[in-house]
Amino acid sequence: MRTDPGTLALVSLLLPLASFFVLAIVAPFRRLGRPAAYFSVLCATGAFAAAVMAWLAQGESTIPTLHLWEWLPGQGKSLATVGVLVDPDSTVMLMLVTLVALLVQVYSLGYLHEEPPKGLGRYYTYQSLFAFSMMGLVLSPNLLQLFMCWELVGLCSYLLIGFWYPKPEAARAAVKAFWTTKLGDVGFLIGIVLLWRSAGTFDLTELHAMVQSSTLPLAGLSIITFCIYLGAAGKSAQFPFHVWLPDAMEGPTPVSALIHAATMVTAGVYLLHRTSWLFALTPDVLLIVAWVGAFTALLAAVLACVQDDIKRVLAYSTVSQLGYMMAAIGAGFSAAGFFHLLTHGLFKALLFLGAGAVIHAVGTNDISKMGGLARKMPITAIVFLIGTLSLAGIPFFGGYLSKEEILGAMWAGGLPGPFAVLMLVAFLTAFYMFRVVFLAFYGPSHVAASHGELVMTTPPDEGKIVHDQPGPHSSHLHDPPASMLLPLLTLAALAMFVGIYSTLIGPLLPAEAAEHAAPGWLTPSAVGVAVVGILLAWLTYQRRTINPESLASAFGPIRTAALAKFWVDDAFIFVYERVLLTFARVVGWTDRYIVDGVLNMVSAWTLTAGDDLRTIQTGKAQDYVYGVAVGVLALILWMKLS
Amino acid sequence: MTFDLGMPLLAEVALFALAVLVLIVGLITQGNAHQRIGWLTLIGLVGVLGLTFVATEGASLFSLSFVQDDFALFAKRLFIVATMVSLLGSLTLRHSTFARRSAEYHFAILSSLVGMMVLASARDLVLIFVAFELMSIPLYVLTGFLKRDSTTSEAALKFFLVGTVSSAVIAYGMSFIYGVTGSTALEAIGPALADGSPLMVLGMTMLFAGLSFKIAAFPFHMWAPDAYEAASTPFVAWLAVAPKAAGFVAIIRLYVEGAGSTSLMWMPMVAAIAGMTIVTGNLMAIPQSNIKRLLAYSGIAHIGYMLIGLAAFSSSGVAMMLFYLVAYLFGNMGAFMVVEAVAQSESSDGIDAYKGLAQRSPLLALAMLIFLLSLGGIPFVAGFWAKLYVFWAAIERGLYGLVFLGAVLTVVALYYYLLVARRMYIETSDRTDPIPVPGLLGLAIVICLIGVIGIGVYPGPWVDMALRVASTLF
Repeated sequence: MRTDPGTLALVSLLLPLASFFVLAIVAPFRRLGRPAAYFSVLCATGAFAAAVMAWLAQGESTIPTLHLWEWLPGQGKSLATVGVLVDPDSTVMLMLVTLVALLVQVYSLGYLHEEPPKGLGRYYTYQSLFAFSMMGLVLSPNLLQLFMCWELVGLCSYLLIGFWYPKPEAARAAVKAFWTTKLGDVGFLIGIVLLWRSAGTFDLTELHAMVQSSTLPLAGLSIITFCIYLGAAGKSAQFPFHVWLPDAMEGPTPVSALIHAATMVTAGVYLLHRTSWLFALTPDVLLIVAWVGAFTALLAAVLACVQDDIKRVLAYSTVSQLGYMMAAIGAGFSAAGFFHLLTHGLFKALLFLGAGAVIHAVGTNDISKMGGLARKMPITAIVFLIGTLSLAGIPFFGGYLSKEEILGAMWAGGLPGPFAVLMLVAFLTAFYMFRVVFLAFYGPSHVAASHGELVMTTPPDEGKIVHDQPGPHSSHLHDPPASMLLPLLTLAALAMFVGIYSTLIGPLLPAEAAEHAAPGWLTPSAVGVAVVGILLAWLTYQRRTINPESLASAFGPIRTAALAKFWVDDAFIFVYERVLLTFARVVGWTDRYIVDGVLNMVSAWTLTAGDDLRTIQTGKAQDYVYGVAVGVLALILWMKLS
Repeated sequence: MTFDLGMPLLAEVALFALAVLVLIVGLITQGNAHQRIGWLTLIGLVGVLGLTFVATEGASLFSLSFVQDDFALFAKRLFIVATMVSLLGSLTLRHSTFARRSAEYHFAILSSLVGMMVLASARDLVLIFVAFELMSIPLYVLTGFLKRDSTTSEAALKFFLVGTVSSAVIAYGMSFIYGVTGSTALEAIGPALADGSPLMVLGMTMLFAGLSFKIAAFPFHMWAPDAYEAASTPFVAWLAVAPKAAGFVAIIRLYVEGAGSTSLMWMPMVAAIAGMTIVTGNLMAIPQSNIKRLLAYSGIAHIGYMLIGLAAFSSSGVAMMLFYLVAYLFGNMGAFMVVEAVAQSESSDGIDAYKGLAQRSPLLALAMLIFLLSLGGIPFVAGFWAKLYVFWAAIERGLYGLVFLGAVLTVVALYYYLLVARRMYIETSDRTDPIPVPGLLGLAIVICLIGVIGIGVYPGPWVDMALRVASTLF
C-alpha cells in the first residue's frame, strides 16, 4: 500500500485517541473490562501497522510532509497550528512507541488477569490516552503542540503510577512524579514562550530555517535553551530531578516498561534531539547537558548497585542510560543519543517485562528472595539475559553499537572527563545487571522462605485490589502465559536482530550512521570494562570467591551514601519544608489579609453600586423616554464639544 | 434580467411569500394548528437559508441601494439561524391562547425577519428606515403576545413608546443628513462628514442615538429587561440576538462603510458608550433575582463588549465584533432555551428555581453551565475567544483604558453567572424529580452547545470568515 506518509501517521495517531474516547465515554463498555481491553489492543495494533506503513512510505518521499490546520488564528499569521510532522526521526520514534505500546497492552492482558473488570477498563483507557499523547508529542510540528502532549503524557504517567491508588505509596509516588516533572515543565514553558518572543514562531521547521539562515536572534538564546533543557531534564530524570523515577515503580510493571523506560522518559532526549540545531548555537548549555548527563549516569549506576528491588535496579539503570543519551547530545552528537534511545527502548522494555514475569511468578520485587529461577522459568531467564547483555553493551546484542557510538561521540566531542565517567558507568552497568541475573536466576532458591511473609504484605482492606505482588505462586513457578510470553519473545528477537545486524553490517537506520571516527582502541576497551564488570559480578554473586559483604565494606562511605540515595531526596524535602513552606506561609498571609482585604472591599463596593444603579430602572415609561432624551442630548453635546 | 436563484432580493421575496402562506394556512386550518404552522415555517426557513448560500455575491439592485455583498449574506444567515433556533423552542410552547393564534405569531416573526434581511442589504437611508420599522413593529406586537396579565401589555407598551421615540430620533437625524447632502445614498455621507458640516455631525449623532436604542446600549437600554421578563422565552432568545445584530449591521453600514475615512471621529463616542454600557449592564445584573432579567442585563453588557470591537473602527475590530455576535448567538440563545425548559417545568423564572438542578437534571445543568461560562468568557468555549479578539482589536488602536475596564468587569460578570451555577451545583433542593425537556427544545440546546463548544475548541474557520467579511467593508 502506497499512501501519503502524513495521512498514515495521522491515522496511527487518531486510532488510540478513538479508543480513548470510546472507553472514556461509553462507560458500560469500559466496565466490561476484557472486551474494552481487546478493543484498545485492536486500536494499538492498527496504530502500529499504520506507523510501520508511514515509515516505509516516508523512505521514498524526500520532503518532510506537514499536515497543518490552523488552531488559534492570529492576525496575519496563526498563533498556533496543530499538525503532524513526518520525517525519518519522527516515524522511527512513532514505530517504537506504537510497538512497545502494543506489546505492553498485550502483556497486560496476562499480567493484570486478576484485576476486576472495572479497573481493567480504566487501565486500558489510560493506556490509550497515553499512546495518543506520546504519539502526538513525537509527531508535533511545533513546540506548543509538543508542550501540550508533553503535559498529557505527564498526566497519564501520574494516573498510571497511581493506578493502584488505595496503596498509599503508589498515590504518593504519583504525586511526587507529577510535581518533580512539573518543576522542569515550568522551565520548558518559559523557554518556549521566550523563544516565541524572540523568533515569533513555535514551528520547528520555521525555527530550523531561521537557524540555517542565521536570522534567529542570538541574544538570550542560552537562557532559552537552558529553560528547554530544564523541561527535558525533568521528564528524562536528570540529576537532580531523577528522584521521581525510582518511586514511579509503584505503578504496574507493564506501565513501568512502557512509560518509565521505553517512551515517556525518553521524551526529553527526543526533544533535545529534535532541537539539536538550536542547542548547537549555545555550546555553554550543551556543556552543562553533557556533564549533568554523565554525572546522572554515574550517580544512578552507583545507586543501582545497592538496590535489592529488581524494579528499582532497572529504574536506576534507566536513569543511568538516559544520562548516557543526554551526554551524547551534550557532546554535539544528538543522533548517537537518539540511536541509543531507540535500542534502549527495545531492550529496557524487554527487561521490565521480564522482571514483570518474575514478579508475577514469585510475588515479590526483592531479588534476595528469588534465586534459581532459571530452572523453573527458562524462557524468562533467557530473554532477561538477552536484555542484560544488550544493556551491558556486549557485541551481537542490542545495545552494543549505540553504546559504542555514545562513547565515541564523547571522545570525538572533546570531552575526556565525561568520557571517563561513562566508561566507569559501563563497568558498573555490567556489574549491577549481572548481580541481578545471578541473584535472581541462579544460585540457591529463596522463594519458598518468603511465602508466608508475602500474604501479610497485602493490605487487609484491599482484597479486590491486585498488587504489584499479585500473590505468591511459588508452588508452581513457571514461565508466564502466552499473552505475556509473546511480547517478551518479540522484544528479545528484535533486540537480537538489532544487535546482530549492527555488529555485522552497521547502523540499522541511515540517519543514525556514525558521524564521527572513533579511535580503534575504543571498542575493545568498552567491551573490556563490561566483561570485567560481568566477571566481578560472577565472582561475587555466583562463585562467591569474593564475599559480597567485604566488597560492600570496601566502599564504606560511598555505600552508606548510596543507601541514603545521596541525600538528594532529603535535600528536596529540606527545601520544601524550610524554604518553600515558609515562603508559602508569608504569601498565604499576604493573600488572606492584604489581597483579599482589598478585593473584599472592591467587591462590596461593586455590589452596592449594582443596588444603587437599580434606582435608575424605575419601571415608568416616561422615565425611559427621559433616558432616551437625556442620552440624545448628552451625545449631541459630546460631539459638539469635542 | 433573467431569473436565477442567485439574484438579489429573491430570499426576501421568498420569505415574504412564506409569511403570507403561513397566514393563509392559519386561516384555513381549524383548531390547534401550532405544530403544523411551526414546521411549515421551519422548513420554509431552511429553504431561504439555502437561497442565501446560492446567492450571487456582489449583485445589486436599484442603483446600489440594495446590495448582496459578503457582509449582507453573513448577516442574513445569522438572522435566519437565530430564528430557526428560536422556532425550535417556540414549537414546544403549550400555552392555549398562544396555540390559537399561532399563525399570527409566526407571521409576525417572519415579517420582522424580512425587515432584518432587507436592512442587511440596504445602502440607502430611506430603505434603512423602512426596513427598521418593518423589523421593529412586529417586535412590539410579539412582546405583548402572551396577554398573560397586565405586566405583559405594560412591557409591550413601554417598548413601543420608547421604540417610537427612538424611531423619531432616527428619522430626524436622517433628515439633517438629507438636508446637507441632498441625497439618501450612503456614499454621500463620507464626503459630507469630511467637509466638516456641523449639521451633518448633528444628524449622524442623533442617528447613532436612535440606533443605540435598537441594540439596547446605555442609556437607551431600559426597555430590554421589562420586555424580556414579560415575553415568551423562545421569542426573547431571538429578541436578544437577531434585532440587536440587525442594529449592528445598520451601524456598520452607516458608520464604517458610509462614513469611510472619517469613521475615526466616532471612536471616542462609541468607546464611551461601550464603557458605560458594560458597566451598567454588568453591575445591574448582580442584584437580579429573575433569570430573564439577569440575562437581559448581561446581554446589555455583551452589547458593550461588541461596541469595543466597533470602537476600534478597524477591519479586525469589525471582524471580531461579528465573531462576537456569532458566539453570543449560541451562548445566549442556549441559555434562554435552558431557561425555557426550567420554566416549563417549574413555572418560574426565578433564579431560585435552579437550586439543585445538577442533582435533578445533570445534563441540563451542565449545558447551562457551559452557556454561562461562554457568556462569562472562560476558555475553551466560544465566549472566551470572542472577548479576547475584541480586546485584541481594541488594543491595536490604543484603547487600553476601555480594554482594562472591559476585562475588570468580566470578573463581575463571572460573579453573577456563577451565582446561578452555585444554585445549580452547590445548593440543594427538596425536589429530586428530573426536569422534562421536550425533544425540540433539547435539539435547540444541543445545537447551541455544538456552536459554543465547536467555536471554543476550533475558532479558526469562524475567525477567518469574520475577517473575510469585514475586509470587504474597508
